[in-house]
Amino acid sequence: MHSETPHILREFDQAFASLRNEVISMAGQARLNLERAMQGLLERDLEKCKAVVADDDEVDEAELRIDRIGMETLVRFHPVASDLRQVITSMKVASNLERISDHAVNIAKRARKMITRPACPEVPFIEPLYALADQQVRDALSAYTDRNAELGQSLQLRDKDLDKMHKRLIATFSARLEEGGPEAEDFLHLIFVARSLERIGDLAVNIGEDAVYLDSARDIRHEKHRAPAEEEAGE
Amino acid sequence: MTPQTLPTSGTRNGLSSAEPAIRVVDLDFSYGDKQVLKDVTLDIPANQVTAFIGPSGCGKTTLLRCFNRMNDLVPGARVTKGAIVIEGANIADREVDPVQLRRHVGMVFQKYNPFPRSIYDNVAYGPRTLGESKKAALDEVVERSLRRAALWDEVKDRLDDVATGLSGGQQQRLCIARTMAVDPEIILMDEPCSALDPVATARVEELILDLRQHYTIVIVTHNMQQAARVSDRTAFFYLGEVVEYDTTRKIFENPEKKRTLDYISGRFG
Repeated sequence: MHSETPHILREFDQAFASLRNEVISMAGQARLNLERAMQGLLERDLEKCKAVVADDDEVDEAELRIDRIGMETLVRFHPVASDLRQVITSMKVASNLERISDHAVNIAKRARKMITRPACPEVPFIEPLYALADQQVRDALSAYTDRNAELGQSLQLRDKDLDKMHKRLIATFSARLEEGGPEAEDFLHLIFVARSLERIGDLAVNIGEDAVYLDSARDIRHEKHRAPAEEEAGE
Repeated sequence: MTPQTLPTSGTRNGLSSAEPAIRVVDLDFSYGDKQVLKDVTLDIPANQVTAFIGPSGCGKTTLLRCFNRMNDLVPGARVTKGAIVIEGANIADREVDPVQLRRHVGMVFQKYNPFPRSIYDNVAYGPRTLGESKKAALDEVVERSLRRAALWDEVKDRLDDVATGLSGGQQQRLCIARTMAVDPEIILMDEPCSALDPVATARVEELILDLRQHYTIVIVTHNMQQAARVSDRTAFFYLGEVVEYDTTRKIFENPEKKRTLDYISGRFG
């Protein structure tokens, strides 16, 4: 349950609006970094790769700001129920976004190295994995901003498709790597890029799980490892 | 339906923890023409802390005071419908002796109110009133009550000192000890920390948590954090009705009713 009724203390609402705006802005920056890193890789655009590395600091700073606003909100207003979940979730989403941006930086650095070498024809193989990972990130953020538990929960299932695709790509690139030859280094880079995209998918799932908690107070993390009695206690 | 007398002993009379210590059934209560409680139904479990929360005038203190018939002293105040069942007896029935009832249901008030007598006499007052005159028995009751109130170590060397010389927090814990001296099953607390500083408040809250193994505690508080910290169950009252009653965790994590959410999160107009 969530209430749209304003708080009696206007500053409480201002702190919440500020927290929400910071997370949305950070999400935009993290997604932009990922997009530019992949464009850098696919289009061999060195400037975009450099921009991703340079702009990562902004994402780090946004995470610090969100944690600070979150802590201040906890200390000053003692939020409960959906308000408390909003603060906790925002801080956790910020942490996941920071890691997504770190993976974008990893991809950009791999791309920067690959750009200095002859073009590798297998690079576009990675595009569908990126499309899926990016879709997961977008849906995770929609689930968070719209308080949509159903969408948030759906990410877990779709992550399995992403994992399968990742596995197939790794098999392909590993086989080519083992063949040796001048392109071996490129395949090593592509394996790491694929690994980053798979991890980004996992981080999107984390955000989706946080969105479920935000919307419905249900903690669906690690549910497959939990005994039924434990699940009930958690609800 | 139910016997109209309470057992005279101070024992729990086989009351199991599964059986509610207090059962409120369809209760209406009025001060003259003004109805202040409407269709209140709730079971208060034994050996747990139950918090009543809600805005001023919502009826939470009125209900608390019904549990030991404190409202009898208010002209025109009366239960107009329903029952309050404690140990099998409808204590809302005028035939139930309020003095006897208060041996089973003690009360601690907002403002600590020790008698202007010694610390010892304050705690021994109840047992003496009930006829206990043996020094050894009184000594034992005083020590046990003060220990349970986590006050013994602080006052054992000055039991003859006047109680009003204690700090505010100590005076409130003394009042709790005084309440416990007649061995009630239920202790009602009406804003017991509202006049205390944060340290004294923490001591009383710690005491409440310790005491629930021996007593059923019902606490009225305006302090949301206090309700969240000390209670097992919370009832939210609004305009004389129970809007929501559930585990404290549920009420403060994910309440069912929007009105509850708005109140606990400071959105109430």
